[in-house]
Amino acid sequence: MSRPAARRPAPKGEYIETDSGNKVSRRSAITGTANITLGGRTVIMADVVLRGDLHSTRPVPSSSGKDVTPTSISIGRCTVISTGSVIKPPCKISRGQTHYYPIKISDNVFVGPNCTISAISISSHVHIGANVVIQPFVIIKENVKILPNTVVPANMIIASGSVVGGQPARVVGEVGEGWGVSGGGSGGGLGVGGGGEEKWVEGGDLRELVRSIK
Amino acid sequence: MAQPFPYTYYACDCFDSNTPLASKRASQLLEEDERDLDPHNPRSNYALYPLEQLLYCEDCQQIRCPRCVAEETINWYCPSCLFEVPSSVVKSDGNRCTRNCFNCPVCTSPMTTNSLDTSGENGAPFILACPYCKWSTVEIGIEMEKSTGISAQLARIANGGRPIPTQKERDKERERKKEMESRRREKDAISPTQDSPTTDGGRDAGNAPSHDDLFSNLSAFYKSQIDTQSPSNPFSQSDINFSSPSAYSRIMSMYSSNSRKHKRNKPAAPRDAGSVLEGFSIHDPSTDAQAIERIKREGWSITLEPSQRLAQTNPNIRFSDDLRPLATLLCTKRSKRCRSCRHILSKPESKITSTRYKIKLLALNHIPRISMRALPPQFAQPASTSNTPFNYNALKSGIPTQFLLHLSNPLFDPIRVTLATPSLTPGRVQSRVTILCPQFEVGANTDVWDDALASSLSPIKHSAHDSGQIEAGKIWDRGRNWTSVVVEVVPGFLNDNNNATGGDDGDDTLNYDEDVLEIPIFVRLEFEADVNVEERGLGDSRGSKGEREKREEAFWTVVGVGRIAEMAL
Repeated sequence: MSRPAARRPAPKGEYIETDSGNKVSRRSAITGTANITLGGRTVIMADVVLRGDLHSTRPVPSSSGKDVTPTSISIGRCTVISTGSVIKPPCKISRGQTHYYPIKISDNVFVGPNCTISAISISSHVHIGANVVIQPFVIIKENVKILPNTVVPANMIIASGSVVGGQPARVVGEVGEGWGVSGGGSGGGLGVGGGGEEKWVEGGDLRELVRSIK
Repeated sequence: MAQPFPYTYYACDCFDSNTPLASKRASQLLEEDERDLDPHNPRSNYALYPLEQLLYCEDCQQIRCPRCVAEETINWYCPSCLFEVPSSVVKSDGNRCTRNCFNCPVCTSPMTTNSLDTSGENGAPFILACPYCKWSTVEIGIEMEKSTGISAQLARIANGGRPIPTQKERDKERERKKEMESRRREKDAISPTQDSPTTDGGRDAGNAPSHDDLFSNLSAFYKSQIDTQSPSNPFSQSDINFSSPSAYSRIMSMYSSNSRKHKRNKPAAPRDAGSVLEGFSIHDPSTDAQAIERIKREGWSITLEPSQRLAQTNPNIRFSDDLRPLATLLCTKRSKRCRSCRHILSKPESKITSTRYKIKLLALNHIPRISMRALPPQFAQPASTSNTPFNYNALKSGIPTQFLLHLSNPLFDPIRVTLATPSLTPGRVQSRVTILCPQFEVGANTDVWDDALASSLSPIKHSAHDSGQIEAGKIWDRGRNWTSVVVEVVPGFLNDNNNATGGDDGDDTLNYDEDVLEIPIFVRLEFEADVNVEERGLGDSRGSKGEREKREEAFWTVVGVGRIAEMAL
């Protein structure tokens, strides 16, 4: 990606905050912004690449007659895309033509640093570890944990409640019943679970994490 | 699953308390009770769980881990196509998807159906291909006519494109061969000739029976054995169909204990299979020699990994051209019951796509969450103003390090907590651990707004100026339903295990993960709760109001703080 050669120091902090609470890093590389929707309170960290320009080229039947901008990436609420991750809509070559398909990421999804994501759909409460590669047309259901350094092969469907790891990915376990439950209001203070220093739980509500990112 | 540092595991003592070992003399039991939990003990692997995986039985008032719950299958489903499979189909067809879901036999990733049609019409023939390792059924010579009903099509095509006979054809073929054999035997009896055995041997070597052939022959043979047994059974006069093996085995099990004394004629002892047509095959050393010759010729690359071979339905294959695509294994939705009181602890909704639970009794809602964090550096070392995050993977041996132990209370009653830990951690790398305030109270999990409104519980202010005052016997900080205390840890030395622990096996090298600093902490809670909290609303709530009972909860936890760094020499 070509970034402006002379990168000016960000005068007002790292993130641009939108009206709906989305926080987008000034150092992220986003193309085709018209084709990207963010649900609100979603964080796009530095060096994230969103390829919104790779949208579906098929004619969209529009009811009102005017041009409808096709959506290529839609991200839900309270989703965090960590540094260095790439989100690229999946494509298929059919009859010599490349067709892109929209990618849908749901609410409360955590994408770790340096991931490459080409899934067709990622449901809510999914935790994706660092350096994960998700190949085209993967479908990930709710409450899934993807361990770091996993390569999810193309067209794989991951049923809800699975823990997935390996190269290629295979289901290695199930998340416990308490997945994403923050434990009776952990209140202030320190974090819980595997969430590092922050006050949030893997697979749980990421609102606290989003709030803490400034 | 390895968790990043720092983590907390909770010990469930279900196994140790249920084993016959536990029924010892009282003095020994007491001793057992007072024994510290050793996180490096291999047995601890099976007792320690993260809090998310634990359930809580409200009747037994105990933690329930995956080992002390009984699971009941609600339904089966294919994880790939997410279709439910009825239990009758699971019983008849096995635990594999019977639709179009297949996994690659080489790398286990799910396979896709591709068309080999070059005209661009996506017509026949179709193949299964792996998008990850690019293996496809072309390599075993299988092409299909339709893109749907793949498992049915695959069941008819052997590797190389030869058709697989159906069960009916197999039966017919067997009958034909049997007839031929018996006719030949009659002929041999009349005019014995020398050449008949040689032709027989030559024909058998030409097409050795396949695994499936042998299996169907053997099962047919055993069925016929049961049939021949049943007429001699003393109960054969009744109109029950004895040829059905299930009826036979049922009656045999009913009468086997007392039928012996009024058995008039002893049935002929069931014999074993004796020929190929009866499913009997003699190991032929020449096939081994052929296999060795083939490996000599084509190299190791044509052989299979053990994991690949064991994943196959026929685990006796040796070479990569014998591989078959693997139908996806089914998954289950299960409900969980407490093993001791049979109450349901968790029950998911039966719909496959639903992720909700009808019943879910989590330990998270009954057991305080304990977490350990490094003390922020501005408090620990007043001089340093560096903002580098604490490296949990390189704890410094011999240097006292402060950590914050944070305990948050999910209960609606305030709890009194007593923490205990061995002053030296068990294991070969001994670290000194001191909990500066082992006894404290944690507030009730009341409404979040109480936190904002209550002025009595103002958080303790810590500034960089009074950083030297980490006082023993005082809590560090507290909030609405949480309290944190300081724990001082002096990580042990990795290479002085010779004098400290005696080095009993004379082995200086550390075993795997022995450099991980794990602190066992015994947690004891005391609180007053309403009597019959779980029956609140069912009985007369006014009558039991105000009645409070004292409750106690005690369990071991293990906090994985970090990894002790190798000393730089």
